[in-house]
Amino acid sequence: MVASTPLTPAVFAILLSLAGGDRHGYAMMKDARTPEGGGIAMGPGTLYGTLERLMRDGLVIETEVSDDERRRYYRLTNAGRVSLEAELNRLDSAVSAARQRGLLPQGSRL
Amino acid sequence: MIRSFDSCQIIEQAYALALYLYPVWFRSRYADAMKQSLSDALADPALPKNVFLRTLLKDLVESLIKENLVMFRETVSRPVLLYNALILMALFTALTLGFVIIEQSSLRQSANDPQLGMATDLATWLSRGTSPAAAVLNNQTLDHINDKTDMDASLSSFVIAYDEQGKVLASSAELDGTVPPLPSGVLAFVRQHGEERVTWAPRRDVRIASVIRHVAGPQGGFALAGRNLREIESRKDLVFKQAALVWLGLLGIISVGTFIFGWLSSSPKRVVAA
Repeated sequence: MVASTPLTPAVFAILLSLAGGDRHGYAMMKDARTPEGGGIAMGPGTLYGTLERLMRDGLVIETEVSDDERRRYYRLTNAGRVSLEAELNRLDSAVSAARQRGLLPQGSRL
Repeated sequence: MIRSFDSCQIIEQAYALALYLYPVWFRSRYADAMKQSLSDALADPALPKNVFLRTLLKDLVESLIKENLVMFRETVSRPVLLYNALILMALFTALTLGFVIIEQSSLRQSANDPQLGMATDLATWLSRGTSPAAAVLNNQTLDHINDKTDMDASLSSFVIAYDEQGKVLASSAELDGTVPPLPSGVLAFVRQHGEERVTWAPRRDVRIASVIRHVAGPQGGFALAGRNLREIESRKDLVFKQAALVWLGLLGIISVGTFIFGWLSSSPKRVVAA
């Protein structure tokens, strides 16, 4: 199932993090804190609750690979990638429109 | 900043305890991974611990509420379970109401039993020309032959003979020292239909199960037999209270059963890479 856009900040940050490869929980939390990863402060409760729902929707799967019994790794599925791309396109359109209206300076990072 | 090993251990232990507040299935799947993520975060020298602890606390509160609500939605409040529970509740409510109505009606009808015969006998004697005083006396038991029944205090049956205009001719009972007249509407109905069984309230707080018959013959008149409804109404109240208790118990059983069934039959699937 492809998630309908817009995605919640937590979902967006997790999908964006997993787009860079398989990640374990804290790696996703760490990615999410960075500006390029969504810039959101997320704790373990939000992370695993969101992962549970993403797995149920088929956007993320848990891998069987782990370097520690307690450390689980997760992977983006094709459906998850499609959802992420749709969200990125939506954001890109919004940013382009904002730039055309002069709300953002031309050539800015946003 | 929290740097000491002991502080981190305390935080981890407190967090491990807080994890018990999550739904069981969520805790059984993710508790270890969540504790590991916390350990990783606390061990990360680049992460300001004070900032992270605030995030952790906020996250704990928010996700606890969210996951417990999700658990509730996916277990007991699943539409099909709620629908079945509501159908069962409606069914038992209807059955209980039906039982209460039938039982109370049956009790009220049974309150007319001795009066039916007494009113018929009184009307028959009056139609045969027996004097009202003698006819009323015929209906009295030996216990009450010298006393008039108190309509308010006594539960005994009594009779009253009225003439065709509703004036009292003779009575074996009284209320507050007098024999109360019948409402003209009741007399008109009995005159037309021959008989009426009605709850008569000669005083606001006195309710009488009464049977009134029209007296055949040229002189006419009315024969009333009555009995205070206090005991019957007390039994009706008891039936209502017992039925209400049973009804509440059934609703409780349905609610608990729905909750337990919803809890046991809910098993969200986790997807694992092949």
